[in-house]
Amino acid sequence: MNNWNRREFLKTASAATLTALAAGYPKQVWADTGVGEKIKATADTVIVLWMGGGMAHTETFDPKRYAPFEKGMATDQVLSTFPTIDTAVDNIKFTAGLEQMASVMDRGTLIRSYTAGDLGFILHSRHQYQWHTGYEPPQTVAAPHIGAVIARTLGPKNPAVPAFIDIGQRFDLGEGEELKAFHTAGFLGSEYGPFLVPNPADAVRSVRPPEGMSPSRFENRNKFYKKLMEKGPTGQLGSDYQKESLLRSMDNAHRLLSSPAAKAFDLALEPKESYDKYNTGRFGLGCLLARRLTEAGARFIELTTEYIPFEHWDTHENGHTRLAQLKKTIDAPIAQLVRDLESRGLLDRTLIVLASEFSRDALVEGKPGKEVKGQVPQPDKIEDLKFYGMHRHFTDAGSVMLYGGGMKRGHVHGVTADERPCKTIKDRVIIEDLHATIYRALGIPATLSYEIEKRPFYVTRDGHGKAVMDLFA
Amino acid sequence: MKMRCLASETVVNCFTHMKLILGRLLIGGFFAWGTLAHADLTPEQVQQLPAPATHKIDFAKEIQPILSVSCGNCHGRGKSKGDFRIDDRATFLKGGDSGPAVVLGKSEKSLLIELVMGFDPDAIMPAKGSKLKPEQIALLRAWIDQGAPWEKEVWLGKIEPQNLHPRLPQVPQNKKFSNPVDALLDGYFKTNKVKWAAPVSDRAFARRVYLDVIGLLPPATELDQFVSDRRRDKREQLVQKLLNQNQAYADHWLSFWNDLLRNDYKGTGYIDGGRKQITKWLYSSLLTNKPYDGFVAELVNPTPESEGFTKGIVWRGVVNASQVPEMQAAQNISQVFMGINMKCASCHDSFINDLQLSDAYSLANIYSEKPLELFECDKPTGKMAVSKFLYPEFGSIDGNADRTNRMKQLADCVISEKNGRLPRTLVNRLWDRFMGQPFVEVDDMEQKAWNPDLLDWLAEDFVAHNYDVKHLIAQIVTSRAYQLPSVNVDQLEKQYVFRGPSVRRMTAEQLRDALTSVTSIGYAAPNAEVEVLDETTLKKFGLRAETKWIWNDKAAASKAPAEIVYFRKTIHLATTPTEANVVVTSDNSFILYVNGTKIGEGNDFNKPYLFDLREVLKNGANIIAVRAANHLPNNALPKPGELVPGTENPAGLLLYARVRSGKESDEKVMDFATDKTWIWSRAEVSGWEKKGFAAAEWSNAIELGAAQMAPWRLKKDHIPNKLASTQSGAIRAALVNADPLAVALGRPNREQTVTTRPSEATTLQALEMTNGETLADILRRGAEAITAEAKSERELIQQIYQNALGRKPTSAERKLAEELLGKPVNKEGVEDLLWATTMLPEFQLIY
Repeated sequence: MNNWNRREFLKTASAATLTALAAGYPKQVWADTGVGEKIKATADTVIVLWMGGGMAHTETFDPKRYAPFEKGMATDQVLSTFPTIDTAVDNIKFTAGLEQMASVMDRGTLIRSYTAGDLGFILHSRHQYQWHTGYEPPQTVAAPHIGAVIARTLGPKNPAVPAFIDIGQRFDLGEGEELKAFHTAGFLGSEYGPFLVPNPADAVRSVRPPEGMSPSRFENRNKFYKKLMEKGPTGQLGSDYQKESLLRSMDNAHRLLSSPAAKAFDLALEPKESYDKYNTGRFGLGCLLARRLTEAGARFIELTTEYIPFEHWDTHENGHTRLAQLKKTIDAPIAQLVRDLESRGLLDRTLIVLASEFSRDALVEGKPGKEVKGQVPQPDKIEDLKFYGMHRHFTDAGSVMLYGGGMKRGHVHGVTADERPCKTIKDRVIIEDLHATIYRALGIPATLSYEIEKRPFYVTRDGHGKAVMDLFA
Repeated sequence: MKMRCLASETVVNCFTHMKLILGRLLIGGFFAWGTLAHADLTPEQVQQLPAPATHKIDFAKEIQPILSVSCGNCHGRGKSKGDFRIDDRATFLKGGDSGPAVVLGKSEKSLLIELVMGFDPDAIMPAKGSKLKPEQIALLRAWIDQGAPWEKEVWLGKIEPQNLHPRLPQVPQNKKFSNPVDALLDGYFKTNKVKWAAPVSDRAFARRVYLDVIGLLPPATELDQFVSDRRRDKREQLVQKLLNQNQAYADHWLSFWNDLLRNDYKGTGYIDGGRKQITKWLYSSLLTNKPYDGFVAELVNPTPESEGFTKGIVWRGVVNASQVPEMQAAQNISQVFMGINMKCASCHDSFINDLQLSDAYSLANIYSEKPLELFECDKPTGKMAVSKFLYPEFGSIDGNADRTNRMKQLADCVISEKNGRLPRTLVNRLWDRFMGQPFVEVDDMEQKAWNPDLLDWLAEDFVAHNYDVKHLIAQIVTSRAYQLPSVNVDQLEKQYVFRGPSVRRMTAEQLRDALTSVTSIGYAAPNAEVEVLDETTLKKFGLRAETKWIWNDKAAASKAPAEIVYFRKTIHLATTPTEANVVVTSDNSFILYVNGTKIGEGNDFNKPYLFDLREVLKNGANIIAVRAANHLPNNALPKPGELVPGTENPAGLLLYARVRSGKESDEKVMDFATDKTWIWSRAEVSGWEKKGFAAAEWSNAIELGAAQMAPWRLKKDHIPNKLASTQSGAIRAALVNADPLAVALGRPNREQTVTTRPSEATTLQALEMTNGETLADILRRGAEAITAEAKSERELIQQIYQNALGRKPTSAERKLAEELLGKPVNKEGVEDLLWATTMLPEFQLIY
């Protein structure tokens, strides 16, 4: 902003904007939708359940012909390695292993036609970047995570709970640097970045005093700090913007750490019976944490099964065996999360989104008919259980489960082909539309932008996102 | 702004991307103002006009946004459709081919109102896009009725790029000030009715200048010395003294340049060779204060050491045409050296300046091995790029020359003496650094400075002094202007007026290094590969023991089986060391233990790893143990005891420890290194790395040869360099990978060029400082060290205050601190005192 523009801008800007401007924060530009339409929010909180690594749709929420394992079976005969099961909704079927989630399908909306971006050869971190920011990497400015955009736009729901909480991902494992690149508020500024809880079982660590410090000592330290401020020359230095900003941030932090809401992080306070229902490991406890934080007033939570190359959903071999295992860790706690939020009257205003960066297939790599560089080796004949499963990266379809937050109940959107390639054949949903849907549920237009380096940066790609209205109740 | 082929879908797509900021600015006219004949409105039509607003209109706030957004694209910024321009009031009133735009005082008779009402659908303004809203027309009517006031300084016409050509302003004669910076500001202050305030105290000045020049807090003793110094020119002397501290200077400015040149020690791209560090080149350039023109030339037309900057980041997968490495080079050269944003123009003609798509491609083409085709919004246009610099007046690029010669010609253009932008851009950045506010927005050098004479003079003086950056720094920080009391950045005014440096926050690196000054807890080892060139330092760190590559087989330098080998050595120390640094490397990887404690690990045999052993080495016997691994060909680790035939490859372990006690005069040397006295085993037996383990059956290691031997060929000075980098006691924050504290405090992920870091204190930062493990650990260890050293409670409090705040505690502060520390002093109290003092604005801000 040049001096001339700045002067003009300052004349009209509110005090709050001035503070943001002085801090070098990007300006928010609400779009003129042209029709004077004001979006009515149907949700206040979003929980993203991230199936990092590539969740095969035909192995989970979009069953196809089941081919039980037989030595020597042909790979091209394998569409689903799990039998089909019924759900609470007549015409919607899942695959075996998701019985609990099937029992709450009447509370959910299922998208079967999510289609990942076409980013050349398949790379998890690039697709995850696109899923989380809505933009393909690289960008000329650091793109913010959807959680940061929501934190920046709506602020915290409860000031004592961080607006954007990221649960379950560690960054010191493979591709950690690439993951860091989108787990950020980017140009929006670190105020809106993720509050990281790498290990849900130990979440309380993030909000308790440093190791070895008792709560009373922690309180005492803060009192001492306040007194020192009053008595010392700093107190007398007069007021300046930087000082106020620093003291305000310290106050915020202290309030957050000592507020009753911080108890939400402490899973030890959960009754044993309920704790056990969730406790299938890291992810299950993460669901419990997400529920507790939602009750305490979180705005945006992402919980991941954790992306580690070649682990969890990143099935390059043993796909069937690994998924059977994985389903055990996610099925009960997700269903429990839905039920608990509902019984607490929170599901109506909480949007749960279960998603993955792309799907998988036993044969097709990328999009059908596309040339791709390198693919996971898969023999034509399966002699060993190791080769039984979906080991290649498939981008032409994918399932996304939505619950609550104004979405329909017991609904399915989109259709995929019943024979290979099991690609989207109806009502394709792409990332910017999925984002537009999430934003719309929160009352945020897809055309909202933030000004950076004099350019608008839209919350959906170039402002193009279109909410999928069919999903809304 | 260039309007082209609006019908083409390509352009429409990318325009949508811009539409909100510029709104209807983009919409071109299908017909022009001039084709319209002026006709009076019928009474019915007059009836339909929105009633004029009833309040007094503020032109800048209410009218100007309408004009610039809805009319500016065809009639502003140098455009004159229908011969109508809205540059200023005069051209606006004059109107265009159809006559005057308005009849003053009579909005209902004004052509402007008729057109924006759109009574004739073929003659509506704006010609395309949304109509003006009735409220807007009501405002325009009221404005016309009130005589269309228009503030003189509001200019909506074409803006000539500023700061492009060299200009040396006259420095006015001034008896009061000898520094031309002050002489030039004196007149400015008079014009703006600013009084020169008295300069800040010696303590405040010293703190400022230490932090600004070398990034460190002034050590208490140096501060006292400075305060009691009676020389009249002591401030200038101090500046020179700091500028002469080459290493501390380089350590500090490394972060500034790493941000700008997006260089880091780990991050996207490095892992698969899609990105290259320039750390070594950069550090040595700073250490030797390389003249800025040469520095820039070596980045634009690089040597292998500096090519990482223009090589950019090769992203895996398909990238947008505007992000190919050649385009990254064009964007970064424009932004970093010329202070101009080319990011828009690398996708389509820019909306924020006059750069066109072809400008971006012309610059990018210089770096391309084969001619680039222009892509507009990622779609091919069929046009080919022509190699050219943005400003052809600075020199030409021969399109037929090869890439090497084109890069050389480009470097000549950029550093040409005709290029007045290059020095101004750096002056502007440095002024921003020292004063908290730039002359011009740092990435928008086409705008006018708030004091062009001062900016221009500093730039020319910088050039006249051979682009000596240290001279430029001295020129600014020895000025009276720099010594003025700090001002509140929040004092936002109608127009920015310089009154003195603003209160600033320390950067992540400054804050971390300041914590080191207070706690003595720094980083153990650098991640940055830097070489300290100073001869005496190198000599001092020369090796005192023979260092050999060792393994369990004499052919290991050419081939050894992939396996894990365990090495041990017992060292007897005559006393507890005061200095103990070890350099280790292994082909392919190692884990180092000392007395059973894991010290660290490494897996790149080209980079010896450095660790501080002071905390673990004890008087008497010590066990040094290394689990070294020769990897499988796919770089995986073999299983313990596993030997896979056919996977042989070179293997070796090398270690050198510099262990000393006492001061230089009676220094005790206890260095040790890998040689045949080490012992090895293949079996991982519990406790192998600990004391008291019976290693009687282990065999002696085989010496393979000296450090420089093939295939590893470590440079002769590599180990001394590594050791010397510990000289200042602690490794500076700039030289290590970002930790959670640094990230929270705003150290950027350097995938993009970063020219300014956010200065706002955030809740997440405060959280990291309130309960984050990184800071807690520094304070814990710091409290231990301080408690062990301090003689009395009084001394301890005083020491913390001196080191942290550069002053003695007041009696009130002392009393509070004493209560906190308890009697006898408990370590936790010290920890909390350290926390509280380092959280004070007085510590974290630069006043």
